[in-house]
Amino acid sequence: MLEVDAVTKHYRTRRGTVRAVEGVSFTVPKRGTLALVGESGCGKTTIAKMVLLLEIPTAGVIRFEGQDIATMARPALRSYRRRVQAVFQDPYASLNPRLRVGRIIAEPILAHERPGRTALDKRIAEVLDIVGLPAAAARLYPHEFSGGQRQRIAIARALAPRPELMVLDEPVSALDVSIRAQVLNLLQDIQAEYGLTYLIIAHDLALVQHFSSAVAVIYLGRVAEAGPTGPVFADPRHPYTQALLAAVPLPDPDHVLSEAAAAGEIASALNPPSGCSFHPRCPHAFAPCSVDVPPPYRLAADHVAACHLLKEALP
Amino acid sequence: MLLQVDQLRMYLHLRRGVLRAVDGISLHVNEAETLGLVGESGSGKTMTGLAMLRLLPRDAGRIESGSIALDGRDLTTLTETEMVREIRGRRIAMIMQDPMTSLNPVFSVGDQVGAPLRYHDIARGAVLRSSVIDVLRRVRLPSPEQRLGDYPHQFSGGQRQRIVTAMAIGCTPRLLIADEPTTALDVTIQVQIIALLKRIQQDAGLGIVLITHDLGVAASLCHRIAVMYAGQIVETAPVRAIYRSPAHPYTQALLAAIPRLHATAKRLTAIPGQPPSLIDPPAGCRFAARCPHRMARCTEPPPMVDLGDGHSAACWKLAA
Repeated sequence: MLEVDAVTKHYRTRRGTVRAVEGVSFTVPKRGTLALVGESGCGKTTIAKMVLLLEIPTAGVIRFEGQDIATMARPALRSYRRRVQAVFQDPYASLNPRLRVGRIIAEPILAHERPGRTALDKRIAEVLDIVGLPAAAARLYPHEFSGGQRQRIAIARALAPRPELMVLDEPVSALDVSIRAQVLNLLQDIQAEYGLTYLIIAHDLALVQHFSSAVAVIYLGRVAEAGPTGPVFADPRHPYTQALLAAVPLPDPDHVLSEAAAAGEIASALNPPSGCSFHPRCPHAFAPCSVDVPPPYRLAADHVAACHLLKEALP
Repeated sequence: MLLQVDQLRMYLHLRRGVLRAVDGISLHVNEAETLGLVGESGSGKTMTGLAMLRLLPRDAGRIESGSIALDGRDLTTLTETEMVREIRGRRIAMIMQDPMTSLNPVFSVGDQVGAPLRYHDIARGAVLRSSVIDVLRRVRLPSPEQRLGDYPHQFSGGQRQRIVTAMAIGCTPRLLIADEPTTALDVTIQVQIIALLKRIQQDAGLGIVLITHDLGVAASLCHRIAVMYAGQIVETAPVRAIYRSPAHPYTQALLAAIPRLHATAKRLTAIPGQPPSLIDPPAGCRFAARCPHRMARCTEPPPMVDLGDGHSAACWKLAA
């Protein structure tokens, strides 16, 4: 459904070129959920912005149902903008405080069609019902709702123009633990009911494992490892994926955290390390790591990892 | 016992009414022990931490009743001058969540780490510089001698949290209040700060109150946990008991609601509804409206039931 092919994004700044995204490739199958995982500044939000046409790639192609979104003709582009919707992290910042909820939900519909008043109200009530809010919510303002309810409104707005792909940028990280589960369950129900495809950005690995069918682990703008969530989490092959998983504090007092798996700090995208960008922190780094960028090694049909160690390991 | 808080009430007097931010909590912290204050936003955990330092929102915040005893001395009876000279930063230090906003951008790191040492007369002049270097070394900041003149923006998030920690432990406090010390950090940096806090505690034997919403971070750092809900403590227990045999329905619900690494559950158990307003909260159990085990008696305040081995929970279900 969505294919990101060798996409690169550089930003020129006075201090030099920020290499935010560097040749990232992945595909999101129809009705699947792909999670982009990585630490702050790794480029995962930049990738989402390019999918949403909010940024233009420096190189590479993004295809939606086989069509390059950068070269789409007007009508196709309009349809793409309707079929791809987004839910953002902060439901306090993403809803206009001066508009009533009904108007907020109506906006993406009105951008694409001119339904009559009755049809519009019916659609608003419909999507509010899907997210578990009463139809009367349409007459209220965002400040009259709690954080969890606001995120439901943001989801209703995204659903309103009947999208096929939803970009979810940290959709629950601003919410409290007890509310998070409600919203995650809601997103899963909606996906099953309407056959949606999700591209989710998250930093919480337990959430990603629970929520997504596939995962791409990003480090300093490159895909370190990608594949189906099960195998990647059960048998991570890239040292960075291993470090990430070892560093997650589990709700289990007998679990021992490993501090050793990733020493030091994340480098700057202004001046990424040579070769494998993870090599200064990697406990397994050896000679080629500081020289050559590791290619993605195919470990299984759809499981790849970019690490020099795998060259020897593979047949 | 290092710290003993007894029936502490701290209310915020707002125009909309009286908000019962901390409503009758009791807890204690031993030397070299970490107590986790776990709860969701608005549960009163940060307000509890601030109340221990008597750092209350100006005009609005007031300690209504109860006591806060540090080494047997009741802090609620001290004057503001005594708090400033003898307690804050000296006997009790605090680390805040965001290391960018708790450091002053226009002063060098050496100045800021040295400030509490100078203020509390711990080091001056030529000794000050070596004391600052020493404390920065204790928090494992790389090459501290060369970086004393650098400013906060020249450090990464993880390094800034090390610097804030250095400011806190410089005066060898007895108690450290750490409010979400790793929440703003990435997971591979978070694990380093968790290890740092453990090491500092072992070296100095200080008590820590860790305020967090993250049940994973709490499990990795705490010896005991107090679970807060709507301004009250609903359950206290040694860390293993909280995770292995939680007694309060809220603790149980919270643990069931988080996705777990390497678990196979397809669906999370959500907690319906949301916490009550602390302006005019329900008279009985504050969790009752969301509780699957609710019964008639829950309209009365539940007793704190002693379950043995330092485990207690406030629930009618356990009182039978």
